[in-house]
Amino acid sequence: MAMAALRREGRRFAPSSPPPLLDASALLIEHHVPFGARSISTQVVRNRMKSVKNIQKITKAMKMVAASKLRAIQIRAENSRGLWQPFIALLGDTPSIDVKKNVIVTVSSDKGLCGGINSTSVRLSKGLHKLNSGPDKEPKYVVVGEKAKVQLIRDSRKHIHLTISELTKIPLNYTQVSVLADDIIKNVEFDALKIVFNKFHSVVSFIPTVSTVLSPEVVEREVESGSGKLGELDSYEIEGGSTRGETLQNLAEFQFSCVMFNAVLENACSEMGARMSAMDSSSRNAGEVLDRLTLTYNRTRQAAITTELTEIISGASALEG
Amino acid sequence: MVDMVIVPATRGQLGVLPGHVATIAELKPGIMSVHDGNGVTKYFVSSGFAFVHANSFADLIAVEAVPLDRIDACLVWKGLPEFTQKLKSASTDLEKAEVQIGVDVHSALNSP
Repeated sequence: MAMAALRREGRRFAPSSPPPLLDASALLIEHHVPFGARSISTQVVRNRMKSVKNIQKITKAMKMVAASKLRAIQIRAENSRGLWQPFIALLGDTPSIDVKKNVIVTVSSDKGLCGGINSTSVRLSKGLHKLNSGPDKEPKYVVVGEKAKVQLIRDSRKHIHLTISELTKIPLNYTQVSVLADDIIKNVEFDALKIVFNKFHSVVSFIPTVSTVLSPEVVEREVESGSGKLGELDSYEIEGGSTRGETLQNLAEFQFSCVMFNAVLENACSEMGARMSAMDSSSRNAGEVLDRLTLTYNRTRQAAITTELTEIISGASALEG
Repeated sequence: MVDMVIVPATRGQLGVLPGHVATIAELKPGIMSVHDGNGVTKYFVSSGFAFVHANSFADLIAVEAVPLDRIDACLVWKGLPEFTQKLKSASTDLEKAEVQIGVDVHSALNSP
């Protein structure tokens, strides 16, 4: 009699859902508890805790790796800033120049998990594209890096002229970038090159920037018009036998490779910095989820123990009673 | 503020003093020297450009620039005859250009 009552009581607990859990652990209710199980299982919570702990460890490790890579590359990026400064001193900076053939070079990373820097670069490139589109001038894209390629290919596939990826497989050096710049100059017709990248200001701040490099013909045109910095180019004597046109040609190519080198380095720095902060917030978040899961786990465990105790005690009192 | 800078331009050595006229000069591989009141610092420059601005500022952009004391003199001394040999045996235009560059660089390094 008592045993039957016990069994009935026991069954009452089985199919009912576990005690109401909070927030993130609410997902656990969907998991199927076998019919007739007497104890509330903590297996599900324990599995989830293990995986969250692993995620926390991995993201923490990724942050350390990014921090060490950042330290190395930051020195190089800051030193490379001196490469393009003389060009600005000589030729000035004309980002708002109106030309027919614009080429937008978007520099981005190959790997993900680096926050929003690639999206900001792509948004800036698209904005530039729209700004410079007109009746007979369509800007073209040259995409460096996988992440921007994926985003741009979705809606601007026909405007992409060239894509380059896996640039950072071997450590960056000037020779590699100059070969790349040479490739671009040979294959793409341009009046103005606009290089979009993330400039590295500090570990937490990366500013999307555009650097403009003009082709020799456009520089010639501006010199003739005599306006702004370029107008004063006339006052410079050209040493050596070459004409100003030839010198400007060499200058433009050299300027492009210097600016590219700096852009790629700065973007790599920004990528490392963004990855550091993304992984940091990820491991912090994993820690919080782990705390909440631990609470749920303890509550579930204690509920199971209490249930067992209640059964035993009520059984005992039924026998006595 | 330095006294004088000598840069290896394509047509020869170019000496720049304060007040020099604004110039753009293309460089060939060679020695660049900075003459200060106290002494001379020499660098080997692989190639690049030199801009002299009207306000007596000079910018030098080089693909590679190495202070001279970092260069091993014996290797330079050995390299020159080696490259001169190779120049005689070079066949294609590309090879000739490469070897000619080697000869230029080594003879420039050998001069001081």
